[in-house]
Amino acid sequence: MGDLHDVFVTGTGAFLPGDPVPNDRMEDHLGRIHGRDSALGRRALRWNGVERRHYALKPDGSVTHSNAEMCARAVEHALDAAGMERDTLSFLAAATTQGDYLVPGHATAVQGELGGAAMEIASFQSVCGSSLMAAKSAFLNVRAGEHRSAAACAGEFSSRWFRPSFYEGTALVDAKGRLRAEADFLRFTLSDGAGAIVLSDRPREDGLSLRVEFIDIVSLAGRFDPCMWAGAAVETRADLKNSWAHQGPVAGHAGGGIALLQDFELLKRVIRAWIGEYLKKVDGGRIVPEAIDHLLCHYSARSLRAEIVSLLQDTAGMIPETKWFSVLREKGNTGAASIWVMLDSLMRSGAVKRGEKLLCVVPESGRALVGFMQMEAV
Amino acid sequence: MNIQTMAMSEAVGDVMRKLTVAFTEFEQRLEQTALLRKLARGRFTLDDYRRFLVELRQQVKDGALWMSRAASNVGEDHLELRSSLMRHAVTEHRDFRMLDADYVSTGGELETIQSAEKNAGSEALSAFMFNEASKPDPFGLLGAMWMIEGLGAVKAREWGRLAQRSLGLPDAAVRFLLYHGDNDLGHIEEFKEMLALVLPGEETARRIVRTAEVVGRLYTLQIEEMAA
Repeated sequence: MGDLHDVFVTGTGAFLPGDPVPNDRMEDHLGRIHGRDSALGRRALRWNGVERRHYALKPDGSVTHSNAEMCARAVEHALDAAGMERDTLSFLAAATTQGDYLVPGHATAVQGELGGAAMEIASFQSVCGSSLMAAKSAFLNVRAGEHRSAAACAGEFSSRWFRPSFYEGTALVDAKGRLRAEADFLRFTLSDGAGAIVLSDRPREDGLSLRVEFIDIVSLAGRFDPCMWAGAAVETRADLKNSWAHQGPVAGHAGGGIALLQDFELLKRVIRAWIGEYLKKVDGGRIVPEAIDHLLCHYSARSLRAEIVSLLQDTAGMIPETKWFSVLREKGNTGAASIWVMLDSLMRSGAVKRGEKLLCVVPESGRALVGFMQMEAV
Repeated sequence: MNIQTMAMSEAVGDVMRKLTVAFTEFEQRLEQTALLRKLARGRFTLDDYRRFLVELRQQVKDGALWMSRAASNVGEDHLELRSSLMRHAVTEHRDFRMLDADYVSTGGELETIQSAEKNAGSEALSAFMFNEASKPDPFGLLGAMWMIEGLGAVKAREWGRLAQRSLGLPDAAVRFLLYHGDNDLGHIEEFKEMLALVLPGEETARRIVRTAEVVGRLYTLQIEEMAA
């Protein structure tokens, strides 16, 4: 076995389908539950701060791109940026919350869309944090010398899970035709797109690369029930023997166990757990807040409640808001893809200078997970 | 800011960070206890709630007592802290009466809640607190206050609301939990001021954090003992 290699992000790419969709046209794309406007939508948008997003669904219900296709386009953009050809890519890690198929894994579908020569692949399925799981796999493969370069991509096609047919005729809609908050909030939070990075054992000769310092992923699933999930009804979600697959697809759907759901009471506790994990990194010296020049996080500072920001200040853990970079407002929350969509926008903005440090923070409410990726521009 | 103020503010920030980590660990341990898991999953019963009130009450009654004892052991170099602890003790020393009233509102007998014994976790927690409070200048107890007041500020209202939702209880039966949720929101500023009275100081900082960790573990034990 040889020595471990330094690993560099040499290219980033993003793909967002179609034109940006403003708030007042969202429900044209997603559809309206029993034809009625959502009661919760505006509140959700005020909270998440999103003003525009992209959908791979047209208002007439037709599909413009699959999840895998969006990922493949993002990988091509990242390869372009890295100055690489598809056939020199020997490793691909692909991440998503829900792929185009139930089976086989997402990476097979992305490779299928990319075409080309044989390569090694790995599929990662979780929620937002799957992006960093794929990145860590790609990073370790290059670091260990298994591959000279690798791509990690993440994509979401959330809007298709938000169509009325996922909710109508299920326990998620009450007698007055109102959709449960656990389901409705997410419809106004998540949207479609893909992002990718290319990692290599050498920095680019022309232009900036990002040397990866670490990718740390912390899961607290042993301590919390699912907080954002699909596959079980709200009341029975902790009982894995009662999930949709045991009930069968028809009964599972009727019980409200197919749609994507979020427990907002639990989310408050999960947010505190994320803060705790972050502060542990600060306390142990792994993350030095004053050394960070660019913070990327797909939660907006304004969606964190004021007392959490003030707690971060009290604990010398706050990275000043002027250093937060986000495209959440104009490009939407694309789940797992978000972190690469943001990194791609930042890299292409020209705002990053050699020697600066970037910290990506990827919280995943799924079952209380948070990931950190720190890089230095070289 | 002069050098002394900077050192103090840095020390306060460091301790606050470690205490916040300790609190989030504590909250996660609580999340896993059988009783609170039932509460979060909407399977809480009236018997669970009554048991919670009865077993919490015996330790709550001791809260103001160890705080008073701690105040009596604070030396004259820290009179401001002594005043603060005494004020806290006065504010809280009748709180257990609220638990009694809540219990009666659920249809329970006053005699039952008043005559109940501490559970094993409450015994351990109270004994530890009185032991700490009996030491000269027991500044470690600031860590205990952080954890217990944090429960009031962050968890009490959440528990109260969840219990109400599961059981359809009137406000009169969850006053203790709802009152603490209302009452403790300003506690962080006040707490930082108390820390500033005893920091910087490596040994004091270490003791405050350690006491918080022990309290978190013993408080969790108290809830674990309420296994339904």
